[in-house]
Amino acid sequence: MLLSSLLLIPFVGSLVVLLWPGGPSPQRLRLVTILILVAQLLVSLGAIALFDPTAPGMQLQELHAWVPGIGLDYALGIDGLSLPLVLINAALTLVSAVITRDIDKRPRIYFAMLLLISGAVNGAFLAENLLLFFLFYELELIPLWLLISVWGGANRAYAATKFLIFTAVSGMLILGAFLGLSLLTGTVDFSLTPVLSDRLTIGGQLLLLIPLLIGFGIKIPLVPLHNWLPDAHTQASTPLSVLLAGVLLKLGTYGLLRFGLQLFPEAWARIAPALAIWAAFSVLYGSLAAIGQTDMKRMVAFSSVGHMGYVLLAAAAGTPVALLGAVFQMVSHGLISALLFLLVGIVYRKTGTRDLQVLHGLLNPEKGLPLTGSLMIVAVMASAGLPGMAGFISEFLVFRGSIGVFPLATLLSMVGSGLTAVYFLLLVNRAFFGRLAITPPSGDAQVDGRLDVRLSPVALRETLPAIALAAGVVLLGLWPASLGHLSEAATTAMGLTIGGVA
Amino acid sequence: MQSLSEALPLPLQFTWLIPIYGFSGMLLSLPWATGWIKRNGPRPAAYLNLLVTLLAVLHGSLVIRDVLAIGPQHLDFVWFNAADLTLRLGFDLSLTNLAALELVTTMSLVCQVYALGYLDKEWSLARFYALVGFFEGAMSGVVLSSNLFLSYFLLEMLTLSTYLLVGFWYAQPLVVTAARDAFLTKRVGDVLLLMGVVALAAWTGSLEYNDLYDWASENASTGAIAPLAGTLLGLGLIAGPIGKCAQFPMHLWLDEAMEGPNPASILRNSVVVTCGAVVLMKLMPVVAPLSPLATQVLLVVGSISAIGGALVALAQVDLKRAFSYSTTSYLGLVFIAIALQRPGLALLLLLAHGLARALQFMGVGSIIATTNCQDLSELGGIGTRMPATLLAFVVGGAGVVGLFPLGTFWCFALMLNTLLPASPLLATVFLLTNALTAANVVRVVRSVFGGSPTPKCRRTPECNWLMALPMVSLTVLVLLLPWIMQRFDPVPGIGSFPLPVALGVAGSAAAGVVVGSLLPQDQFWSRATTPWLRLLQDLLAYDFYTPEIYRRTIVALVASLARITLWVDRILIKGLVDGLGRLSLVTAEGLKLTVSGQLQSYVLTVIAALLLLLGSLQWLRGA
Repeated sequence: MLLSSLLLIPFVGSLVVLLWPGGPSPQRLRLVTILILVAQLLVSLGAIALFDPTAPGMQLQELHAWVPGIGLDYALGIDGLSLPLVLINAALTLVSAVITRDIDKRPRIYFAMLLLISGAVNGAFLAENLLLFFLFYELELIPLWLLISVWGGANRAYAATKFLIFTAVSGMLILGAFLGLSLLTGTVDFSLTPVLSDRLTIGGQLLLLIPLLIGFGIKIPLVPLHNWLPDAHTQASTPLSVLLAGVLLKLGTYGLLRFGLQLFPEAWARIAPALAIWAAFSVLYGSLAAIGQTDMKRMVAFSSVGHMGYVLLAAAAGTPVALLGAVFQMVSHGLISALLFLLVGIVYRKTGTRDLQVLHGLLNPEKGLPLTGSLMIVAVMASAGLPGMAGFISEFLVFRGSIGVFPLATLLSMVGSGLTAVYFLLLVNRAFFGRLAITPPSGDAQVDGRLDVRLSPVALRETLPAIALAAGVVLLGLWPASLGHLSEAATTAMGLTIGGVA
Repeated sequence: MQSLSEALPLPLQFTWLIPIYGFSGMLLSLPWATGWIKRNGPRPAAYLNLLVTLLAVLHGSLVIRDVLAIGPQHLDFVWFNAADLTLRLGFDLSLTNLAALELVTTMSLVCQVYALGYLDKEWSLARFYALVGFFEGAMSGVVLSSNLFLSYFLLEMLTLSTYLLVGFWYAQPLVVTAARDAFLTKRVGDVLLLMGVVALAAWTGSLEYNDLYDWASENASTGAIAPLAGTLLGLGLIAGPIGKCAQFPMHLWLDEAMEGPNPASILRNSVVVTCGAVVLMKLMPVVAPLSPLATQVLLVVGSISAIGGALVALAQVDLKRAFSYSTTSYLGLVFIAIALQRPGLALLLLLAHGLARALQFMGVGSIIATTNCQDLSELGGIGTRMPATLLAFVVGGAGVVGLFPLGTFWCFALMLNTLLPASPLLATVFLLTNALTAANVVRVVRSVFGGSPTPKCRRTPECNWLMALPMVSLTVLVLLLPWIMQRFDPVPGIGSFPLPVALGVAGSAAAGVVVGSLLPQDQFWSRATTPWLRLLQDLLAYDFYTPEIYRRTIVALVASLARITLWVDRILIKGLVDGLGRLSLVTAEGLKLTVSGQLQSYVLTVIAALLLLLGSLQWLRGA
């Protein structure tokens, strides 16, 4: 029942928000949403207590036949791979509800959609049935599309449509692969049983795995399927970006691990070398493209492209350490990119721009945003993989697990990690160091010198979510065993499966 | 070892606290650094940091006392354990490590007292102390570490804190580029080092230095590791220390880092570079058997840095930079000693250099604080009006140069004694560096104190006592150094070399002094008028045009790659996506016109499609 309540709380909550009697103020709705999400977080934390970290398989399972004719069961389960992601989902949805402050239109629908997304994501992470996963995977799409196209920036229609088309294609490919599985094996068994060559020839497995790869590759996103992401991020509001980068991208990597590696271990081992090269390419491409960006949000978005590539690298290598690294990377990327987007959002709200050619000296102690700037330094350093923060241990595990299998791809990915330092340092140096300015230089030094910029101070309650996320990043970086012991059994078992067939 | 820990004396059991003291100093400063406490100014943060640093020094000396009594110890904790990977935090409590620890903590303490005077009216004093605490914690961990993973972990923290300390006055444009370059240069070295660490972790399973030594000698004898892999590994491992110690070609950052506050420069030039060298020293037994090429590279890099740094220092007109290039130069010499597997000598050299260099920078800070100027062409004629500072300059300079009877003299002579039979070329490097450095020291001292007072130096009282006290104490320490070295000497006797060697070292220093005092000095014509001399002077003053070389090579490479990627992203990928979208819109517009609107045709289409679908299903089932 615990897992079902993880779905019920947000879905019922979404209805509650929609049907709240009278004309509640946006603040009231926000408070209700926050309370619902706190409940969700508490139940997710409760799952840790009931979860047995030493057992590798699915736990707390629930199984009810739903539409047996087409093989759709209501089958839920949680393991060391999905538990951290469920936690991240609960935490980051809460963060994005907390940082939603100035909602100008239709707050009721906004908060309902937020809860709907969170519930659908939970469902996707918990589903033990392929069709059930697909249902939730698609269910998250519509509210997200609405959130971008109604509450987005100036160019939101373009970005939202692009997002919708890309993700719909991704969904079609995934559904196609799932149905194809039934077609090729001649059964309607959509449970999570590994498909081995005794059930399906290797050619058939590859035929199904490749559409899955492309489908999830769009969601992750991998280059060259990433084109929807920067636009979606730049047009989405800050809370949505936090959710998109922190949680929704993980659906792609989770899908790869669960329905690629775990479902088709033999075919996966066959194409792993190509995947490793693809991962390295994605990492380098994302990092190099980030260097060239002038919009802070676009830069962070491209850094996401680069950093999600590490997960693919680890999945391709498939060793126990690498897979544990993949879980770490998903969690730490969730925390760090959420933090980055949140801080960029604060800068945007206070200055009205995200242009790196315009912003300077925001670290100014009296007139600028010193605390935001300090947190930004923490965030970019964590993203660049500085030890003591979450990014380092994740990358270390990924690299350590992969270098023995794919040395070249790993070394290239490490270059990408070095490039992260380049673009994020450029960001901090341009926007936060130097003399405070939030308008383009006029060309006359004297005129610029007389400008007295004074940004309105950032209230503590605005930075509190960022401080909490930063604390999480540091905590995970200093005490990785906390996450490690939750996931180790599951990832080790997964690694042994793939190692067994390779 | 864990089972023994019950029997260990308390100070030893809690040695892991020593790095924590520094880090806790950072945390303690936060309320003032972030402005939560505004009422009483930032001074309490400084006092708290001084207190925890003092604790670190005292704790360190207790540990030394115990280690002297019961011998070297090893402390070890499991930090992270998963699958076949175990990451440990290990501390090696040997006398050399502890001596280095005491050097680090003592220098940190001295610098913090000094900073109280130097940064007297600095509004963000608390932030400075927070960063210094972070710095000190990372450094004391590095010198104690018995484990490559921990060393790497802390070296990266040093990179971060260097970045933040150099960027302390972040509103100034030069500081911005300096901080950026410091971080990126070190980061390049760190990433290469990380590649080595990751490869070693995958190959050996343990990152304890002792296990690595066994593994390396075993593999070198059996040839289990391919020569190419071994060479690459060796090069990766030495890249980190090369960046950290500002060696050619990653030396530029140290010079630019002089834009940071002077007390941080003291630490950076004396103990931070020492940390990099200590890590290299610990890595050398891994590198040497696997990769002869890496050893050769170290020798070449060391020699180029030693002579190049000394030459470039001669042409600097900035007081701080004149000495910072000299640091690069001396660390080059240390690199040579390490590459030749002379760790004892390298440590002595580091100790002698660290103390004397710190003293030099304290003197520099005193001049800057009093005159608000660090341009050599505007300084001059201070004479004996700042006696403590003058003494610091002279003693510090003499301590750095192999001038009898101060510390470096003995190190140089010992080094020369071991070098001469095998490689006279390297011996020449030492002597030449010594002579050039001596000339530079004399040039700077003459320029600051000699001649008639310049406008900026007319009113120059001695610096305040918070700066003077550490400076004078350090002067005494530098003077006493030969005696200390004799007591702690890991090499048999600091005077174990023949007289001609001693004469050689002293002679090279004397030659340098003579050249330095004969160099013409003209405040107005600090740039030479003779064309060829001018060319040479520019070449050296602009550091062999290294910034330009960086810009034309690595920076240009990354920038153009980024531009190409951006072009591909904007034109190819986005173009393709948008094109597809437009195409579908256009075809839809076209198709719209082909539809008749008659109901019959729609029904026909639906039926045809259904038939097709059912037929294909039937066929697939049959197949």
